[in-house]
Formats: sequence, C-alpha cells, structure tokens
Amino acid sequence: MLRLQDVSIKYGEFTAISNVNIEVKSGEIIVLLGANGAGKSTSFRAISGLSKPHQGDILFQGRSILKLSADKIVQAGIVQCSEGRNLFSAMSVQENLQMGAYIHRRKKQQIKQSMEHVYELFPILHEKRHDAAGSLSGGQQQMLAIGRALMSKPKLMMLDEPSVGLAPLIVEQMFAVIQQINQEGMTILLAEQNANAALKIASKGYVFESGSIVTEGTREQLLANDRIRKAYIGA
Amino acid sequence: MDILIQQLFNGLTIGSVYSLVALGLTLVYGILHIPNFAHGALYMMGGYMTFTMMTKFGFHYWLAILIAVVAVGLLGVLMERFVFHPLRNAPPLHDKIAAIGILLFLESFAQLVWGGDYLTMPTPYNQVVSIFGLTFTMQRLLIIIAAIVIMIALNLFLKKTFTGATIIAMSQNREGANLVGINTTKVAMLTFLISGGLAALASSLASPINLVFPGMGHLVILKAFVIIILGGMGSIPGAILGGYILGFSESLGATYISNDYKDIIAFILLVLILTIKPTGLFVKGGHT
Repeated sequence: MLRLQDVSIKYGEFTAISNVNIEVKSGEIIVLLGANGAGKSTSFRAISGLSKPHQGDILFQGRSILKLSADKIVQAGIVQCSEGRNLFSAMSVQENLQMGAYIHRRKKQQIKQSMEHVYELFPILHEKRHDAAGSLSGGQQQMLAIGRALMSKPKLMMLDEPSVGLAPLIVEQMFAVIQQINQEGMTILLAEQNANAALKIASKGYVFESGSIVTEGTREQLLANDRIRKAYIGA
Repeated sequence: MDILIQQLFNGLTIGSVYSLVALGLTLVYGILHIPNFAHGALYMMGGYMTFTMMTKFGFHYWLAILIAVVAVGLLGVLMERFVFHPLRNAPPLHDKIAAIGILLFLESFAQLVWGGDYLTMPTPYNQVVSIFGLTFTMQRLLIIIAAIVIMIALNLFLKKTFTGATIIAMSQNREGANLVGINTTKVAMLTFLISGGLAALASSLASPINLVFPGMGHLVILKAFVIIILGGMGSIPGAILGGYILGFSESLGATYISNDYKDIIAFILLVLILTIKPTGLFVKGGHT
C-alpha cells in the first residue's frame, strides 16, 4: 500500500534520514521504533508532504506521491496525527472534528456518521464536544487528534507517538482503540518509543537509529532480539 | 445630554471605520503572524480607487465602492503571491521589512498617479437628517449600517461555512490545517482578498467625511494596531469591540477633554493595555 524507497531528507546540511526503506501492506499495523531525533517524525513528514525528500521515492497504492502537496496527500487517503497534535486549540471539540472532515465537506450525512463513530470510540469527546480543544487534558487531546484524523476517512493513518506524556492506563486505552480502528479495516503506521505497548499490537516493526533503519522484522523477531529488548523494552 | 448622545453617535461612526480596518489587519495577522504594515496603504488605495471611479468614470457611489473593494482585494492577493508567499519560510523580520516596503511603494505610487493634493470625495448621501433633536448626515448613518451589515456577514461566513472556518483553523494552527487537507495557499490568498476588500470598503465609506490623500492611511493603521493589541492579536471579536471602544473614547475625549488631544487617546489606551493586560482584552485561554 505504502512504500518508501531509499528516501533521504536533508535539513540544510544536516541529513535527517538517509536511505529509508519501509513497506506497509494494507490492513497491517506497522511500528517505527526509535529514540527522539532518530528520524521517525521526519519520515512521517515526508509521507505527509510537509518535508520533501532530496532522494528516493514514496509510493502510495502504486503511485508516486512525491510531487503532491500536503492537502492532496490527505485527499489521496493518508492522514497523520502528528506528535504536537496540531489541534485548533480555540475551536471546540466538535469544530475540530468537523475540520477533520474538510476533504468531505460536501457530504453532510457522511460527516455526521463519522462523528458518531468517533464519539463511540471516545465517549469523553462527546461529553466535552462544546469545550475548546486547548482546555482538554493531554489524553483527551490525543483522542481528539485521532478522532479528527478518522474524520477524513483515510486509507492509511499515521500516528506519531500517541503515547507520549500519557499515564500508563490511558496509553493502554489508546492502544486498544488503535487496535479496534485497525480491525475495522484501517492500515496504521505508528511511531513509538514505547516498544512494549506498540509491539503488542503491531505485526511488524522498523528500528530507527540516527536517521537510518538498523533493524526490521516481525513482532516475534523484534521481541526475540536481545539488543531491541535492552534498548526499547528494558527487560 | 444632547451633546453626549451626539458624541456617542460620532463614536459609533468612527468606531465602525476602525473596526473594519482592524478586522482586515487581524485576519491577516492570523495568516502571517506579523502585523501587515502595508494594510494602511490598502486603505489609502481604496479611497483613491473609489474617488477615481466616481469622478473620472462617473460611476455611482456604490458601484465605485464595489470596484474598489474588488480591486484592492486583488491587490492584497498580489501582495500575498509575490511578496509574503515567497517569504513564508523566512524569519518574521523579513515579512515586516517587506510590508513596510509595500507601504512605501504604494504611497509613492499614489503620489505619482494622483499627486499629493487633498481630494474631497463626493457622495450622494449629503442630506442632513434630524431625529429626536439629533442632527447627522446620511453618510454617517450609512457608515454605521454598512459596517454592521458587513461584520455580520463576515461573522456568518467565518462561523457557518467550511471555507470561512478554514481561515480560523489556519490562524490557530497552520500545520494542523495542512494535515486535515486544507490548501493553505488558497486560504492565505482568500484571507488577503477579504482583508484588502475590508480596507477599501472602510476608506470608501469614511472618505466623504474625511479627505483622500496619500498619507490618509497612516493614522488609521496606527490606530488599527492599537485596536488589535487592545482586543488581542488575531481576535475577531476583539477587533470589532476594540474598534468601537477606540471610536467612543476618541469622540468623547474630543468633546470633554480637548479636540487637540483626540488622536493621542489611542496611544494612551495602548500604554494602559500593555501595562495592565498585555495579551489583550478578548483573548480566550487554552493552549495545546
């Protein structure tokens, strides 16, 4: 479904990622593991069209999306919950969700259904639907970010560190919902430092270190890899 | 008592003009995140456009305004395309310098085309109306009504339509807007179009009671800055209420303090607000 081929990105003279190869198949949950600054978010920015690679190609459903602008990539069916969440903080929860459905703005009925679906996944958002997004707690903001992404009815959803800064119990809930969304048919690409939680739901993973992929493998292979266990699971 | 009511009415008139100018400034602030110093030049261009359409081409006042609104709106779009868009990744200082450059360019342009004379704009609404012992010209009444109608329309557009909401969304989080599939380039152009249109409308309405000249935008734009600082940078209700607060303070100050100090009131307000509540009066809390 999505393939990154030898993608490299430079910020000025600094090479943020080099020769990254990732393949995501339809219906999978794939995780990118790695420390801060290892290149996970940069890869996501490249896929979303926010940073342009100077080398390599990105294919989505067999077609190169390198030349597409960020808004066209959303229309093609790739949406990202970025790490900073990027909510519209002074808008209400409901308005944020509505903006999430921007590319479907003429389909009133569909927007209504998607919104009900989001409220089913995250009942707390329904309760707070008239509150400003900026007034929500960190966990609720993350839920809203995921909900807003769902509103565009993507084929592929990228989640950049959805667990960052959240209490363990909330993280567990968050991953349960991510798994549920995946079971409903959504392909998911996840970036995480929390390998423990991520590998529970992912089928395959890539490990980033200073801008390159150093290891890749199925969940079982990664869990069996001593180095990965030491570095990212702590056991 | 009569004087008070008369002055409140005057305050409403000037406040309406200020609010329209400040609205355009605050909208563009949301996109650029810098104050657009060239906004005063757009205001001035609006005055000249309407004046020329009426005197040279003999168009009716409203038709002339319409042409000026569209033309100055497009001028705003050109500014976005050729100046601010190429600078979108540059440090904010570059935007500011560019904005001042545009201001100087447009002012010299006006000087070249229309000369430096003070011009009087004709208006078909010179009649004097008298209600409840108050006398005022139709033009002043018109300014208030037109401004309020436009503000309501703009508010409906921003609140009730998806296109309008994209402007607000982009001002709150540009990258977030990009990530939900909004074409931020188009939104920026639209914002500049509206902003230029509002400036042209404001000057076309106000010119018959003031004068048209190359420097007519100076004081207005300085006051508009005071207004958006007063109301909170980027806040739309803040720009409207701030405009009226300044309008009332000025007209009452002119009567009860001194007409000579009328223009200083804005800047006293500025000092006060920066001392007491620097974030502005109408900024909502909440940060991500």
